Amino acid sequence: MAAARVDYFYSFRSPYSYLSAPRGFALADEFEIDLHFRGVLPMMMRGESVPVAKRLHTMRDVKREADRLGMPFGRIHDPLGDGATRCLAVSEYAIDQGRAREFVLAAGLGIWGEATDPATEEGLRRICEAAGLDWDGCKAALIDPLIAARVEANTNELVEIGHWGVPVFVFEGEQFWGQDRIDDLALVLSDAGLARR
Amino acid sequence: MSKLRDRAEREIGPRVIVAASTVTAPARAAAAARRATGRSGRLELYFGFDDPASAFAVIDLARRLEGRKVIFDLLPVVVRGIADDPALERKRIYGVTDGRRLARRIGLTLSRSEPIDPQQTAFLAGWAAGAPRGAALTRFCVAACSRLWFESDGPIGEGRYEELWRECFGAAPFTDEAAVRANEKQMTRRGPYETPAASIGGRWFFAQDRSAQIADWLDELGWTVK
Repeated sequence: MAAARVDYFYSFRSPYSYLSAPRGFALADEFEIDLHFRGVLPMMMRGESVPVAKRLHTMRDVKREADRLGMPFGRIHDPLGDGATRCLAVSEYAIDQGRAREFVLAAGLGIWGEATDPATEEGLRRICEAAGLDWDGCKAALIDPLIAARVEANTNELVEIGHWGVPVFVFEGEQFWGQDRIDDLALVLSDAGLARR
Repeated sequence: MSKLRDRAEREIGPRVIVAASTVTAPARAAAAARRATGRSGRLELYFGFDDPASAFAVIDLARRLEGRKVIFDLLPVVVRGIADDPALERKRIYGVTDGRRLARRIGLTLSRSEPIDPQQTAFLAGWAAGAPRGAALTRFCVAACSRLWFESDGPIGEGRYEELWRECFGAAPFTDEAAVRANEKQMTRRGPYETPAASIGGRWFFAQDRSAQIADWLDELGWTVK
C-alpha cells in the first residue's frame, strides 16, 4: 500500500520556510508518509505585494524564532530573482537524486545564515556541494526546460489550492500554513495512525 | 541597479534590521523605571471580535498575564489587514480551519464553521473600545470571545451581548466608533497589519503564534509572575 502523501510548498526566499525545513523533513522520519517537496516562486515574483511593515516584522520575528529553534539567522543574502529561481531548479534536480532534504537545508543555511548568494556560480556551487550534489548535474538543471516546467507547475498548484503564503503542508486536502503549524500536522498524522512504530 | 545598492538591499539592510532587533537594554531600562515608580507594565492587544485567532489570543493572554503586574490593554479594531490584499477572503476562510487548531491548544472546541463578517461584530468593538481598561473589560472580552467562537453558531444577536456587558459593567454599553478608528490608526503606526497583535516593550508579536515568546519577553523585562 502506498504511504500517505504530504505536499510541502516552500520558497527559498521565505525565512519562515527556512525555519520549517528541519522539522518539515523530519516528519517523514516520524510518520509513514511520502513527503513531496514543492518549491514555488517567491510571493513578490508571483505578483503579490509585501508591504514594508510586513518585511520589517518578518526579519525581527524570524530572528526570535530562529534563536528559539537554535538555527543561525542574520547573515542574510536576499535571493529574490535569479538566486531563488536557480535554487528552485536545483531543488528539482536534488529530488531526482534523492537529496532534496540535504539541498534545501544547505540552501536555507547559506541564504539566511551565511549570506551566500545563490545567483553566483561560486555561491550556488558551494551550496550544491555541501548537499552532496554533482555540480555538473546542477548546472544542467539550471537550463533544463522540463525542470523549469516542474517549478511552474508547483507554483500554479499553490495558487490552485487557494493558498497565498509559504510554507504550506497539505495532507488529504487540509492545509497547514506556517512553520508553527507543523506540530498540528503531526497531531493529525498521529490521529490518522501514521506514526512509525 | 548598482552593485552597492543591490548589496545594501539584499544583505546590509536585513542584517541591520536583525541586529537592531536584538538590542533589549532600552526596553529593560524603561520597564525597570516603571517598576521603580510603582507603575505597571502594559501589554496592548489589537484584536478583532470577528477573528477566531483573536478570540484565542484574548483568552490565552488573559490567562498568561495572571500574576504579572501588567495591564492588559484590549484594543478592538474592525478595519485592518494589508491594503488591497487579494488573499483577504481566503485568509478569513482559512482562519476558521486554523482557529480549530488553536482552540484545541487551550482545550476548547470551535463552534463555528464559517467566518464572521467584521461588520457583524463591529458593535462589540465600538463598546469595548470606549470602555475603561481593567478587569471588567477583560472579563467582558474573554466572555464575548468565548461565546462568539466557542459557544455559538449562526447569527449574532446584540441583546445577548448587552446582557453580558451589564453583568461585567453594571450599566448599559455605549458605542464609541471614534475610539475604534483611533485603535486602528495606532495599530498601523505601531507596525502590525493583522490581528491579533500584541505589543509590549517596543516589540510586537502575532499573539496567536507567539505565546511563549511573549511570556519570555515579559520575563526579560522583569514583569514576572509573582
